[in-house]
Amino acid sequence: MGENKNVVADIDRSLYDFKDVESEKDFYRLQEGLTKETVLKVSEEKNDPDWMRDFRLKCLELYNKIDIPSWGPSIDGLDMDKISSYVRHKSEMKGKWEDVPEDIKNTFERLGIPQAERESLAGVGAQYDSELVYHNVKDEVAAQGVVYTDLESAIRGEYADMIRSHFMKLVPPTDHKFAALHGAVWSGGSFVYVPKGVKVDIPLQSYFRLNAAGAGQFEHTLIIVDEGADLHFIEGCSAPKYNVANLHAGCVELYVAKNARLRYSTIENWSKNMYNLNTKRAVVEENGIMEWVSGSFGSHTSYLYPMTILKGDNSKMEFTGITFAGKGQNLDTGAKVVHIGERTSSHISTKSISKDGGIGTYRSSVIIQSTAKKAKASVSCDSLMLDSISRADTIPGMDIRTSDADVGHEAKIGRISDEAIFYLMSRGISEEDAKAMIVSGFANPVSKELPLEYAVEMNNLIKLEMSGNG
Amino acid sequence: MGKDLDMKVNVLPVLTYNFLHVNDSTIRVDDPETVGIKGKRPDTLPEGVLLNESISFEKAGEIFRINKDKISGNNSEMAGPNGDNSKRDSDQAVRTGMGCDIDNLMISLNVPTDVYTVKEGVKVKTPIVLKYDLDDGERILSSQVICAEKNSEITVIMTYDSDKSSHGFCGISTRLFAMEGARINLIKVQTLGDRFVHFDDIGGLGLVNSSIDLVTLELGGCRVYSSAYIYLSGKETTLSSNMGYLVRGDHFLDINYVADQRGRKTNAAMNFKGVLMDKAEKTFRGTLDFKAGSSGSVGDEQEDALLLGEDVVNRTMPVILCQEEDVEGRHGATIGQLSDELLFYMQTRGFDEQEAKRIMIKARLESVARMIPDPAVMQKTQYYIQNII
Repeated sequence: MGENKNVVADIDRSLYDFKDVESEKDFYRLQEGLTKETVLKVSEEKNDPDWMRDFRLKCLELYNKIDIPSWGPSIDGLDMDKISSYVRHKSEMKGKWEDVPEDIKNTFERLGIPQAERESLAGVGAQYDSELVYHNVKDEVAAQGVVYTDLESAIRGEYADMIRSHFMKLVPPTDHKFAALHGAVWSGGSFVYVPKGVKVDIPLQSYFRLNAAGAGQFEHTLIIVDEGADLHFIEGCSAPKYNVANLHAGCVELYVAKNARLRYSTIENWSKNMYNLNTKRAVVEENGIMEWVSGSFGSHTSYLYPMTILKGDNSKMEFTGITFAGKGQNLDTGAKVVHIGERTSSHISTKSISKDGGIGTYRSSVIIQSTAKKAKASVSCDSLMLDSISRADTIPGMDIRTSDADVGHEAKIGRISDEAIFYLMSRGISEEDAKAMIVSGFANPVSKELPLEYAVEMNNLIKLEMSGNG
Repeated sequence: MGKDLDMKVNVLPVLTYNFLHVNDSTIRVDDPETVGIKGKRPDTLPEGVLLNESISFEKAGEIFRINKDKISGNNSEMAGPNGDNSKRDSDQAVRTGMGCDIDNLMISLNVPTDVYTVKEGVKVKTPIVLKYDLDDGERILSSQVICAEKNSEITVIMTYDSDKSSHGFCGISTRLFAMEGARINLIKVQTLGDRFVHFDDIGGLGLVNSSIDLVTLELGGCRVYSSAYIYLSGKETTLSSNMGYLVRGDHFLDINYVADQRGRKTNAAMNFKGVLMDKAEKTFRGTLDFKAGSSGSVGDEQEDALLLGEDVVNRTMPVILCQEEDVEGRHGATIGQLSDELLFYMQTRGFDEQEAKRIMIKARLESVARMIPDPAVMQKTQYYIQNII
C-alpha cells in the first residue's frame, strides 16, 4: 500500500464560508417578519409600478391562505417572523467592477466571479443579499441585441410590457405557498432577452450571494430566448453559515421559443442553514430544446424540482442532476415534465448521494397529456448510499393519458462495491481516496455537462463532502 | 337503507405531489349494513391443515399482535422518509396493502375470519381451493388468516367469478403468517362481472427463512382494488409477487404493493404485467422499503403496462425507500403501446394488427396464468383470457 494520500484535505471550505460583517452604516435591512407593511415597504424600495405593488399584495393574501406542502421535508425550523425579506447595500448597482463597494467586491473576488467573467463569460450579474450590485454584458454580445439586465430597471424600461406579460405567468403565485411568498417580496434577479436567430456562443452567468444572517433572498430570473436563438445561462449560489435559518425562495421563468435552445446550469452551494425553496419552470415551443444541468450540494433543506412544459410539437427536454446530501441536510430534489405537444421527448437522468446522516430524496413527475401523441419519456435515477445512518429515497410518479406514448423508467439504489474499493486500494490508493474517486465517477455524467471551470468546482465540492468538511 | 361508506385505502407509504392523485384512493361501499358475509370453505381439508372457522376478525389477528416484536425486528428510531405516512396504519394487527379502513370495516360488520393453520413441518402438496362463485347482485365480505407453522408449506388458491354482465360487491381480506422456514403460496384469480366492485386486501409477515409467493390475476370487475403489504422480517425471507391485469371499458384498477424489508439478506421480487384498453384507468403503487438492518437485501420491482386505448389513463408510482447502505434496490417500468418494429415483424409473419395485439395481450396474461399450480383453475383462467380478448 502506498502513502496514505489525502487530496481532499487541500480543499478550503472557507472559500464559501467566509463572512463579511455587514455594518448598519452600509446596509439597509427591513424589519423581520412578513406583513402588509413589510411588503409595501419592499415595493416602495423597488419603486414598483402600481400593477406590481397590487400584485405583491395579492400574493401576500395567497401566501397566508396556502398550506405548507404535506409531502416534503420539514420546514419547522423556518420562522418567517425571524427572516428579513430585504437587505441591500446602500450603494447603487454598478456597471464597472472597480465601482463596486470594496467589501462586496472582496466577497466576489474570493468566489472568483470577475475572473470567470474575464475568462469565460459573455456577461455577469452579481447579487449580494437582496439586490444586484454589479451587472455587465460584453459589448459584442450587447451588439447582437442581447439584453441582460437587472429585472427592476427592465420593469420600468423599454421591455416593461414584455416583462408584465411574462412575470409569474409560468409560475403563478397560486402554485404553492413559497411561490406566493416570492411574488410578495421578490427583489433582485435578472432579465435576459435573446433576439430571434441570435446564438450566444459563451455563457451568461448570475451569481447569488446571501451574506446577511436571518435573511431571505427572493431573486427573480426571467429569460426569453426568441425563435431560433441559443443561450447557455449559468447560475451559482453560496452563502456563509450562520446559526440562524436563512431562506432562499427564488423563481426562475424560462421561455424557449420555436427552434430555440436554452441550457440552464446551476451549481447550488448554499450554506447548511439555508432553506432552499426555489421554483424553476420552462415552457418550450415547437422544435425548441430545454436543457437543465443541476448540482445541489448546499442547503439545510431543499425543495427543488425544475419543471418543463413541452408545449410545442417536437420540443425536447433533458435534465441532468446530482444531489449530495451530507450531515444535517435534507435535500428533496428532482424534476417535473409535462408533455403537451406531439412527438415531444424528455430525458431525466439524476444521481443522488447520501452520507453522514444526510437525507437525499429524488422526487419527480412525468405527465403525458392526451394530446402528446408519439411522446417519448425516459427517467433514470441512481442513488448511492455511503453509510447506514443516511437515507436515499426515490419517489417518481408518471401519469400517462395516451396509448400513443413510450415511457421508460429505471432506478437503482446501492452502495460502493467492496470489489471496486479493493481494486483501487490494490493499486496504492487509500480507501478514502478510492471512495472519492468512485463517487466522482458516479457524478461524471453531470460534471461532463458543465463548462470546465464549473465541473472543477463541482468535483471540488464532492471532495469536500467526501472529506466530511462540507 | 343505511348510510354509504367512503373509505380511504391504498395509501402511499410516502406522500408526494397532490396533483398526481396517487397519495391514496377512495372506495365506496353502498349501504354496508346489507353486505353479506361469506366464509367459503374447501370440500375437504388436506392432512395437516386445521381450520378454525368463523372467529372474530380481531381475535384472528392476535397471532400477529403476539409476534409484533418480530415485525419490529431491527427497526431503528432513524428519521423516516419525507412525507412519511406509515403511522396511519400502524395499529393494524398486521399492515395490509389497503390499510386500516378495511380492518375497521370488517370489525364494524362483525365479519368472521376462517383461520387455516398448517402444522409444523407439514408440507401440503395439494392446493386448497376456495371458489367464490357469486350471483348477480350478490354483495359479500370475507376474511381469512393463513398461518404456516415452522418449516411447513401450504398453497391456497382463491377464485372470484360471476357472470360477465353481473353486478355486485366482493371484498376480501387475507392475512398471511409464514413462520421460520415456512412457505405460503397464495394465488388469486378474479374474473368477476363487468359491474362488480372488488377489493382484495393482503397483509403478510414472513419470519426467518420463510417465503411468501403471490400470484394475482385481476381480469374482471368495474372498480378493483388489489393490494398487499408484506413484512420480510426475518433473515433470508423472500417475497415473490406476480400480477397480471386486464382493464377494459371505463373500468378502474387501483394497486398498492409494499415489500417492507427488515431482516438481513431478504429478497423481494415484484412483477406487474398488464393491459389497459378503451378508456380504462389504472393506478399502480409499488414500494420497496429497505429498513435499517436489512443489510444484504435485494429488491426488484418491474412494471410492464401495455396501453391499447386512445383514452386510457395510466398512473405509475414505483417507490424505493432506503435507510440501509448494503442493499440493492431496482425498479423499472415500461409503459406504452406495441412498438412499430414488433407490429411489422408480426405482419411479416402473417398477423394483422388486431391479431398481433391479441397475441401480445394473451402472452402477457398467460405468462402469469401459467403460474397457477392447479390445472383445472389454470385451464379455466386460460379459457377466460382466450374468450375475453
